[in-house]
Amino acid sequence: MTILAPNSPLSAIEALRGDKTKRPISDLSSASGLRAQLEDGIYSIMGKASPLTPLVVRSSSLRQNHNTIDIQQASLSLFRGILVTQVLRLLSVGVEVTDPFSEALSAWRCEKSGSDLVRSFNQLDKEQVARLEADVNAHASTLKRSLGVVSATWMPRSCVRASQRFAGGHVLLFDVVDLMVGSTTSKFASVALFDVTTSPLDAGAERTMRFHALMQTLKTSVVPLRTSIFSSATGELWTSDVDYEILSRSVDEVLSTLNDMWKYV
Amino acid sequence: MSTLLHRRNTVQNINELIASAPATSSQLTNDHRASLSARFRAVNATSNRRLDAWMVEQAGKPYDPFHWTPQIARRVLGASALRRITTRSDLSLSQAVRDELADHLLRSTAGYTQSGSLSYWLSGLSHASLGLVCAEAVSWATTTYEVLQGIERPWQLAQSDAYYDVSAARTSLRGRRDIVIKHDEQRVVLRLRAGSPGKSSGPGLRCDLTIDALASPTGAAASRFIGVWPDAGVCLSVDGTMADLRAGARDLVRTAVVQQRGQMLKAA
Repeated sequence: MTILAPNSPLSAIEALRGDKTKRPISDLSSASGLRAQLEDGIYSIMGKASPLTPLVVRSSSLRQNHNTIDIQQASLSLFRGILVTQVLRLLSVGVEVTDPFSEALSAWRCEKSGSDLVRSFNQLDKEQVARLEADVNAHASTLKRSLGVVSATWMPRSCVRASQRFAGGHVLLFDVVDLMVGSTTSKFASVALFDVTTSPLDAGAERTMRFHALMQTLKTSVVPLRTSIFSSATGELWTSDVDYEILSRSVDEVLSTLNDMWKYV
Repeated sequence: MSTLLHRRNTVQNINELIASAPATSSQLTNDHRASLSARFRAVNATSNRRLDAWMVEQAGKPYDPFHWTPQIARRVLGASALRRITTRSDLSLSQAVRDELADHLLRSTAGYTQSGSLSYWLSGLSHASLGLVCAEAVSWATTTYEVLQGIERPWQLAQSDAYYDVSAARTSLRGRRDIVIKHDEQRVVLRLRAGSPGKSSGPGLRCDLTIDALASPTGAAASRFIGVWPDAGVCLSVDGTMADLRAGARDLVRTAVVQQRGQMLKAA
């Protein structure tokens, strides 16, 4: 169910946490059904075939066709996305970010020193770096303004990874959620997922939101309370309460993506 | 027979694994230690070697020289932060991690650090990089805290990883352990890992079980050793039987052999 708040919440985090008294009891039973649904669906697509390399589905696979991006073609928008995510990580632990571009770059270099992407970044010319800097600063400013204060008591975790194997390891589902708050061990559902994109929100963004919720459910066997996506390009926040319908829809989307991928194997 | 069990990482499953741990476990004697030492001595070492479960899982593949990264530092900082909040409940995890970072930086400023240490590395980082290290440590500590919250029996955080120096063999073994649950005379050990388990994760877990038993003064093995992969939502466990301990020791010796062969080939 998508919530249309009567009054606009003051911050994205506030919107995510919502009204504490209206939270449902944690759903611990849906995960096994979804897993079975996925296994059955994958079997109906692949049968007993065993591909030489596993088919990998990520949230990006649901947003575009299945062609992977060549590292050499890593564009400025890719770097922009990475750096804005770094800004979010810093904000999530209460770091005061005054110069978003340089601070995000410093953090990213510390994390990924020696990676292909960092090498690719180092090859950018001065003009491209200047354009990227202006872009990142603008996006970070929108993010800072809209995010609000992430309280330490909400147990914020950034870059939360999830991986699931299906069909005996022939199908891999990978996901990274930019920010997650709440606990999976509480009686009431409290986990909220927050993703940041530097593109305007579209139908693909909705699929991403659902995929995050599905992966979180499969990983912890607990259905999260809410899933959301924020565009630092437009300042728009989409948020949705998670229920079985949303998760089941995401299963269908994953299977449809796999079906497309399987045609090319 | 292998006692390897595979379960989903849920609160219920972890508690079941802890509750159903065998009431008895094997014990390594001085003869076992002497025998292991003789086997390691038979594998020539040109320099001191350190083996752990990761190397066993990687089949002794040569690895890059160690250097600190936020992903490596998070476990040390996260575990120390959790120890802080067990004694001071008013602290949040973020605050505990920040206090831990501040302690390291203070140590460095006071000149009590050596190059290569975590404190030394942290002292050379920019403000933003420290923020990222903090974010990683908070995420790790929170994940561990979530596992701890679900455990019904009294637990304690492991004071350190298990280290065992194999006498006269220039070999030291390092086993990872994060949480210890003591029940009567027995103990169950939990180890958390990022990523997802592969085909060699079972042997890796057995190695940690063996090293943990070797590091124990009495040689008593944990009745059950549970490996938790929160990212994959999976946990594996092995029991402290003599067969599992032997398998763990065998894999460690094999890894030393493979490493030695690799070094010989490189030298040739």
